[in-house]
Amino acid sequence: MSLSGGLAGNGRPALLAHRIWAEEVNARGGLLGRPVELVYYDDQSTGAQVPGIYTKLLDVDKVDLVVSGYATAIIAPAMPVVMQRNMTFVSLFGTGVNSDFKYDRYFSINPAGSDVKETFARGFLDIAMAMDPKPRSIALVNLDSDFHQRTAESARYLAKQHGLRVVYDRAYPPSTVDFTPILRSVQAARPDIVFVGSYPPDTAGMLRAASELRVNFQLFGGPMIGPHITAQKLQLGPILNNLVVWDVYAPEPTLQFPGTQALIERYQPLAAKEGADALGHYVPPLAYTQMQVLEQAVRRVGSLDQAALAADMHANQFDTVIGPLRFDAMGEWTEERNLYTQYQGVQGNGIEQFRKPGTQVILYPPRYKSGELRKPYTAGA
Amino acid sequence: MSGAALRAVPLAAPRRLGHAGFWLAAAVAALLLILALRGLGSEYAYFAATFVLQYVVLATAWNILGGYAGYVNFGAAAFFAAGAYTTVAIGKALGLGLLPCIGFAAVVGGALGLGTGVLTLRLRGAYFAIATLCLAVVLQTLVVNWSYVGGSRGAYVLRPREVPLGFDSYSGLLCAVAVVLAALAVAIARTIEKSRLGLGLAALRDDEAAAEAAGVPTLRLKLVATTISGAMMAVAGAPLPYLGSYVEPNSAFGLAYAVNAIAMPLIGGTASWAGPLIGAVLLASLQQAATVTISSAANLLIVGGVLVVFVCIAPHGIIGLFRGRR
Repeated sequence: MSLSGGLAGNGRPALLAHRIWAEEVNARGGLLGRPVELVYYDDQSTGAQVPGIYTKLLDVDKVDLVVSGYATAIIAPAMPVVMQRNMTFVSLFGTGVNSDFKYDRYFSINPAGSDVKETFARGFLDIAMAMDPKPRSIALVNLDSDFHQRTAESARYLAKQHGLRVVYDRAYPPSTVDFTPILRSVQAARPDIVFVGSYPPDTAGMLRAASELRVNFQLFGGPMIGPHITAQKLQLGPILNNLVVWDVYAPEPTLQFPGTQALIERYQPLAAKEGADALGHYVPPLAYTQMQVLEQAVRRVGSLDQAALAADMHANQFDTVIGPLRFDAMGEWTEERNLYTQYQGVQGNGIEQFRKPGTQVILYPPRYKSGELRKPYTAGA
Repeated sequence: MSGAALRAVPLAAPRRLGHAGFWLAAAVAALLLILALRGLGSEYAYFAATFVLQYVVLATAWNILGGYAGYVNFGAAAFFAAGAYTTVAIGKALGLGLLPCIGFAAVVGGALGLGTGVLTLRLRGAYFAIATLCLAVVLQTLVVNWSYVGGSRGAYVLRPREVPLGFDSYSGLLCAVAVVLAALAVAIARTIEKSRLGLGLAALRDDEAAAEAAGVPTLRLKLVATTISGAMMAVAGAPLPYLGSYVEPNSAFGLAYAVNAIAMPLIGGTASWAGPLIGAVLLASLQQAATVTISSAANLLIVGGVLVVFVCIAPHGIIGLFRGRR
C-alpha cells in the first residue's frame, strides 16, 4: 500500500479501512476459524517496488490471500507475480488493468465498469442535455494521464452522440502549474459546458484560476479528483458551489447501504488520530468493499482454494457497503456506478457542512438522485 | 650518500590481475552467484538480487564519467528510462525478447550519451550537471507525448509464458541476466580504469587544462566515456519493463535512480571500480531491507543519512577509507 509518496493521500485511508475490516472480522471470530492478520508494506508510490513486495508476501511471509494497493500504477506491477502463483486478486481503483493481462482471477473494485468509453461520461452529458436551454457546444480539458485520457475519450464519444460541437479539446501535461491560460482559451471558445479531468494539484489550480477569471459556464466539472480529499474541500470552500464532480460516494440519504454509515463513523475518529483523510468519503468505502468481497467469497467457498474463490466471485453477487455488485468475465463490475454529484450551498471552510446531506447532492444516476442541478458555475462569485 | 645506501630494496609490489584474468574472475563470480541464487530457489531472493544488481550496473556506469572523469551527470534516470523504453519500443515493433532488447538499449544509450556529450561536454562543473538534468526533463517530455510507447498512460510488457534457457521462472532468468550485466559492467569499468583511457580520464579529472597541455585528447576521451557510460546506464534500465510488466514515465524517470546512481559511487568511492560495486550492494541492500522491514519512506532518508555520514567520515568513500589507512 502507498503509505508515502504521491499516492499516500489515498493509500493511508485505504489501509485504515482494511484495518477496520480486519478488526471487525476478528471480533466475529475470524475467517475459517482463524484470526485475520494484515501483512503490508509501503510501496512508496513506486511501481518498481511492487513486484518485490508481492514476492516477499507470497514466498517469505506466505500469506493466504492478496489484495492490491491503490491505483493502476501500483496494481499493474503486481499482476505478473500474482498470476505466476495463480492467486485470486481483488484490486482497488485500477483502470483497465486486466484488458492486457486477461487474467480470469482478477477482480476490480472500481465503479467505472468495463466499458469506460460508453458509460463514464454518460451521467455528465445526461445532466447537460436535460438543461433548458439545451447546450450546443462543449469544451474538453484533461490531464495527460491514463485515467483522464480514457474519461476524455468517453466524453468526446458521447458528445458526438448527442450532437454537441466540441469547441476546445486539449490535454495538458502533468507539469502544468498555471491554469489561467488554459481557462482563458476555454472562455475564448465560448462553450456552453466544460468537461474537465484532473488530479488534486491540478484541480486546485484549475478552480483557483476559474475563481480569479470569474468564469461563467452553464455546467462545469467532470472527473476532477480533488474535492474528494477533505483537505481540498475545506481549502476551496465556496469555490466548489455548483461544481459537478464525478465521485464514488456522497453522504446522501439515497446512497445508504447496510454498514456504510457505521464504517464512516468508525473511520473518522481513527483518521483524526492518525492524520489520514478526515471524512473518508472517497477511498475507505471502496477499500472496505475490496475486503468484503474477499471475505464473502472465502465464507461461501469455505476454503482458501484460489480457483474456487475466483469461480465464486464470477458467479455470485456481493452485498457491500457501497451496495450490491457483480463481476463480469474480465473482473470489472457488470453494472457501472459512476456518480455525478454537485456541491451546493457551501459556506466558509468548515468541515461540518460536508458531513451533512445536502452539501454534495447526487444528480446521476437517477436511482440515487438526491437533488436538482443548480447553474451556472461561477467559481464562488 | 653511498652507493650501497642507494641500492633499492625490491618492494613487494601487490600482484594485480591482468585484464583477461579479471574478466575470467568476473565470469566465475557471476556463475557462482547464479548457482547460489538457483540453489536458494526463492522468488524473493531473485527479486532482491535483481534490485541490487541493477543498481550495481547503474552506479558503475555513472562512475565511468562521474568518478573517473569527474563530470557529474544528474541525468542517470534519463539514460535508465531510455533503456526501459527501448525495450518497450523494440519489443512492440519487432516482437523481440529481453536479450536482443538489451543490445538495442546499449546502442540507444550509447548514441544518447554521445549526442549529449557532443552538445554539453564543452561545459564544465555545475553547467554540465545542469545540462544533464535538462536531458532528463526533455526525454521525459518526449516519452509522455509518444503514444506508441504508451505516453503518459504507460505500457504493458507481458512476460513470455515459456521461460527460455532452462530457468524455472522468468524472475530467475531476469536475475541471471542482471548478474551477467553486473559482472560485465564491473569488468568494463575495471578495464577502463587500468587502461590509457582511464589514465587520461584521471588526468583530466585532476586538471583538465594541464591534461590538455600535456597532450591528452580531453574532448575525445570525454566523448568515449559519455558513450560507454550512457550505453551501460541504458542497459541497466532495459530489463525494467519485464520486472514489473508495466512501465510508465513517472516510475521509469524516478528520482530514486538519479539519486542512487550518484550516491552509491560517492559512498563506495569514485576512484576505483570497486567503489560503485560496494556502494550499490550496501545501499541497495539497505533500501530493500528497509522496504520490507520498517516499511516507510525511510528509503531515501537512508540514502541521505548514509551520504552525510560518509561525506563527514570518509570523503573518498569506503575504498578511500581503507586506502588512507594503508
